[in-house]
Amino acid sequence: MRAVFLSILLSCFLLWPNVALSQERSATRQGFDLQAQSGQTILVFRPAVQVGSQSMGGMFEPDADWTLKARDHIAAALKEQQSKLGNTILEAPEAYGEDAELLYEYQMLFGAVAEAVREYQFFVGNRLPTKKRDNKDDIFDWSLGPGVADLPGAADADYALFIYNRDEYGSTGRKILQVGLALFGGIGVQSGVHVGYAGLVDLKTGNLLWINVDGQMGGDVREADGAQKRVRQLLEEFPGSELEK
Amino acid sequence: MSAKLLKAFAGIILCAVGITSAQGHNDVAPLPPPYAGHYQPEGRDEVGLWQLDDENERRLANAPILIRDEALTDYVHEILCRTVGDDRCGSIRTYIIREPTFNATMSPNGTMRVFSGLLLRMRSEAELAAILGHEFGHFEKRHSLNGFRSRRRGTDILAWSALLVSAAPSQQGFRNHQNLELSVYGELFSYKRNQEREADLLGLGYLNASEYRPQSASEVWTNLMGEIEASARVRGKRKPNFKRVAFTASHPPQGERAAYLKALADPQGYNRDDGALRYREMLAPFLSLFLEDQVRHNDFGATQYILNSLGDLGWNADLYFAQGEMYRSRGNQRDFANAIESFEAALELDSTMAAAYRGLGLCLIRAGDRSRGREALKSYLELAPEAEDSAMILMMIG
Amino acid sequence: MTNYAKFFLSLALALFVTPPAQAHKLREQGVDFSVAKSSLTVTPTRDWNRLNGRRGKRTERWTLDGPQLNDVTFFGGVEGGTSLFKGRGQQKDALPKFERSMLLIDIPTLLDSTYRVTRGMRSFDILDIEPQPFLGAEGVGFSYQMIASNGATLRGEARAVILDGELFMITYEAPRLFYFETYLSDFQKLLDSARIG
Repeated sequence: MRAVFLSILLSCFLLWPNVALSQERSATRQGFDLQAQSGQTILVFRPAVQVGSQSMGGMFEPDADWTLKARDHIAAALKEQQSKLGNTILEAPEAYGEDAELLYEYQMLFGAVAEAVREYQFFVGNRLPTKKRDNKDDIFDWSLGPGVADLPGAADADYALFIYNRDEYGSTGRKILQVGLALFGGIGVQSGVHVGYAGLVDLKTGNLLWINVDGQMGGDVREADGAQKRVRQLLEEFPGSELEK
Repeated sequence: MSAKLLKAFAGIILCAVGITSAQGHNDVAPLPPPYAGHYQPEGRDEVGLWQLDDENERRLANAPILIRDEALTDYVHEILCRTVGDDRCGSIRTYIIREPTFNATMSPNGTMRVFSGLLLRMRSEAELAAILGHEFGHFEKRHSLNGFRSRRRGTDILAWSALLVSAAPSQQGFRNHQNLELSVYGELFSYKRNQEREADLLGLGYLNASEYRPQSASEVWTNLMGEIEASARVRGKRKPNFKRVAFTASHPPQGERAAYLKALADPQGYNRDDGALRYREMLAPFLSLFLEDQVRHNDFGATQYILNSLGDLGWNADLYFAQGEMYRSRGNQRDFANAIESFEAALELDSTMAAAYRGLGLCLIRAGDRSRGREALKSYLELAPEAEDSAMILMMIG
Repeated sequence: MTNYAKFFLSLALALFVTPPAQAHKLREQGVDFSVAKSSLTVTPTRDWNRLNGRRGKRTERWTLDGPQLNDVTFFGGVEGGTSLFKGRGQQKDALPKFERSMLLIDIPTLLDSTYRVTRGMRSFDILDIEPQPFLGAEGVGFSYQMIASNGATLRGEARAVILDGELFMITYEAPRLFYFETYLSDFQKLLDSARIG
């Protein structure tokens, strides 16, 4: 049975055209340009970085060592990169009580906005008609609102960088499954999920100046090199940057 | 945990289950082993799980679904401490979550989440202690980690079934998938069921050694069976068979559970206090909120059962009011008479309960008695002139 | 049928049956649209998007930026004895039903209960209920705040009326932070344009 199954899989794989849909991953608000060496301060909230591996059924297996390393690597890479651009990274102070609850609500809001950008402006085939038109007109207009000025640490910075990251490295079983599912039902199962959202927000207006939403990121954040690559990718087309890809 | 230890535990479980099936034994659940002290995670899986858990706890602490009431949280935590002892409860943080279902969870880093629906259903400190002790048993035996490992195997099989089903997007395929899902989960949960039994016994062990009446543990499950049955009956479903292992149930069937907990409770503890009065007093400020959450979930039979069960200890205005709202929200014509009676009973006990006048007035109007309805709504506005619906009510009084 | 046969059959099905892709539709300003498969008609004053799929027999959902950020739902004549949403699996047993005998003041509670059952809302607080004309009759306007199962705090605003024993309602929901206030006036204009026919 297994041999039959695999041969079917293989023949389907060979016969089926592999249609890869290209899709935007990042966008910059029209008219926004962060001048290099302009000495801006960017506030970064505790980057939510979770690293683990993924077993075949899609369960996330957390790995503390990787997660800690990833967080350190990403923080270091972020600082290094931004200092090249002449910007200062300010880590947001630990928040308590009402401040922490406000931050929680804004992080939920950033998640909702990033998701809406990905699902309804970037996702080919699922775009909202008004967003399709925006794309044509080079309009990228999203905001978290001017209330961001009340976030802890906001008074000392010009911009805030919201980061969301989730990594799962696929097991071999899952890679086989991925081929199977893609062929049969068009169900997207990724071998390893590498979701990253990064967004730069103007701390006065709350406008989203730049975003990168990436469901398939590269760079093994468990390694320093990989983390650098990831930060490069996450901050790809970061305004004012001329980083090599 | 070493394989040897695991085998030893398996042995204990088998013994315990054996005891329950053999009638007439006088054994009771043993005292818990001496506390091994603060536990630190070991190995890749466990360290990772703790870290993820720390991050989740950090989020939980700022989440709006948390009930931030120090007095209530401290009280629940205190019951845990009195059950498992101060040395053990020192490693636990207790959180109360607004979620109207019967549940509490314990995660590996020592986060105890107690659902508001559990607090609503418990009738005494001893009943709550039985559940908290059970949850602590999971922590002491590190079940989340083992559950995680076994779940990993289970979902691997499930992914393959999803593959077959995605190839056949028909109704039949969907049903197959459901069945396959059931079978995989069944296997997965049967592993968990053993853990649940183990935690039950450990929980009862704490309870036997505590100041609380250990027979309460079995009463919790008897009561839950009553609720499930009542819910099914009102919805016209077949009476559930509690002796049979429900395939999806992650826990031992309630019937079996109630039986072995009863058998293993220390008979000498029978006359101990169960703290019912204190419990009721402490929960009083939250009763109306928890009852409202329950009523809004629109499970008539379950709500009715819970109200009667709490009412056994004496009906108060909050219970009568919730009963009125329960009938009013179902809204069959015959329900209004019952609702009106309930609201009137609430007002007899507490003549300042504005919301009861509101319910009474709206029911009278729907039942066709407009003039008395308007009178009741007038009383409502007199008691609550600033109510969020005052403009609407004013128009109805007209 | 053997498992093998099932497998090959399903394989064949998968290869030849591709579900049709449904797209979201533009709802241009100044054009009349009948919504929710009913006589309820609106004329938007700015461009909106109609999301595909429906959560109830007589419902339709519009958005500007995605339903997680601004979500307008039309209910076009829910009949007595039926629920607002379809609901899945076990939810069906618990779904509250709209009844012809309901008073306008009962509608917010109906929405509350429907959301708790189908969307797992943790809380639903009514902030205000007022008599408001709607579709040429005496209706009810209400606003609310709720906590979603994922922990997000949302605000909502709705207008409802019962016409010939059928419920007509339009709701607007958005995150409490920024979004709700910002697009409230767009919703109100949409609401004001609503009529039967």
